[in-house]
Amino acid sequence: MAKSDDCVHILQGLLVFGNVVIGMCGIALTAECIYFVTDPHGLYPLLEATENNDVYAAAWIGIFVGFALFALSILGIIGVLKADRTLLLVYIILMLITFAFEMASCITAATHRDFLTPNLFLKQMLERYQKSDPANNNDQRMIEGVTKTWDKLMLQNHCCGVLGPSDWQNYTSAFRVTHSDADFPWPRKCCVMDAQGVPANLDGCKLGVPGYYNSNGCYDAISGPMNTHAWGVAWFGFAILCWTFCVLLGTMFYWSGIEY
Amino acid sequence: TMLPLLLLLLPAARAAVEHVGYKPILAKDPPLEGQTTASTFVLDQPRCVFDNYGNADIWLVVALSQTAANFSNSVEPGTPESAFQRFPASVPAYMTLNATLANYPCPKRRGDITVLRVGSETSCAQDMARSTCNGPLPGPGPYRVKFLALEGSEPVAETEWSEPITLKTAKLPSSISTTDGRHSGGMIALTTILTILFAILLAGLVAML
Repeated sequence: MAKSDDCVHILQGLLVFGNVVIGMCGIALTAECIYFVTDPHGLYPLLEATENNDVYAAAWIGIFVGFALFALSILGIIGVLKADRTLLLVYIILMLITFAFEMASCITAATHRDFLTPNLFLKQMLERYQKSDPANNNDQRMIEGVTKTWDKLMLQNHCCGVLGPSDWQNYTSAFRVTHSDADFPWPRKCCVMDAQGVPANLDGCKLGVPGYYNSNGCYDAISGPMNTHAWGVAWFGFAILCWTFCVLLGTMFYWSGIEY
Repeated sequence: TMLPLLLLLLPAARAAVEHVGYKPILAKDPPLEGQTTASTFVLDQPRCVFDNYGNADIWLVVALSQTAANFSNSVEPGTPESAFQRFPASVPAYMTLNATLANYPCPKRRGDITVLRVGSETSCAQDMARSTCNGPLPGPGPYRVKFLALEGSEPVAETEWSEPITLKTAKLPSSISTTDGRHSGGMIALTTILTILFAILLAGLVAML
């Protein structure tokens, strides 16, 4: 199939441009996924306690896929400019493998995000926060993770429970086993604290006087970062894959037009 | 003949307990998150109610809704017949939260939060020596309360019984359903489109080779 020189040069230019964009997006994807894996909001213990941390697995895959995309884009640029059939064939096959991995990462991130509902965190908080009789070492580790994370969440975000302090009243909990309802209608961390880290007015907090306790729930503080994380991995990956699809189709077309 | 007449008059004099037209209510202003919990509830203080009884001790009587009628004003506080620890198994009501008119100044100063938290003392809940303990309530109720003013050990005034107060009952966390999350539209679109794109690429690879 003969093409005029101009057409070939335009196609080569487009493919090189496409590969440059893929390379840069690969670096961006790696950087974004490294950011998520470092868990800047400290929410990983909550995911670990759900015994399903697929969102983190998706981010790990994203790191390696990003590197692979960058390396393959360089291979692609060289192959297009030299019009080398072998190089381009290797490029296409490796890109398809990377495409498959990135597809798995996106779908995993999106699916797992749907799994993280308020009820899930509510049940986990009630069953593990300040639980005093761990069943085994694993349970103990999860209890410590959940307790420390919730304490930090409630202090820093001035919130209480998942939907509100009423969570502690509407349900029994591991916390309620060791802390009586009259002394601790909700944990002390739900109280407004003064500079020393003690409740500003303990009686006001126990009564639930507005201004002395945190009345809103922490679910927004949890779901905000998790949504950013999951959608960042899933939708940015999706965008990269759409672009890669176009570049790969163009490369296949170009490859089939190269004369031996 | 004078003696039997006097004897007849004495019991009548004892029964002069004034029935004050006030009904105890749960505290509503400001709105409290802990107005009722599983073992406590919060009442409004009886301000400007017992103004004629400057010398009296004002007690709170707590009873179960069904047994409120069995309570007799002649029961004295601090005795086993009104002990918190024996409620509700052995006594129909207990008496607690002793106060005088000085604790309930009238009129209420603006900005003061005038509440009584029933059930706040956990340290004396098992201590029979503290029979007037304001201990946590033993169940969801429903309960009725009234205030009783005593001069010495004579009841002189009482309020009406309150409406029944029911406390919160907690559900088990295992009753929370975590499996009702449907797949969001975004996830379904993403999966479908990516699968189609991958299929096209594989077809292109096969056609090209």
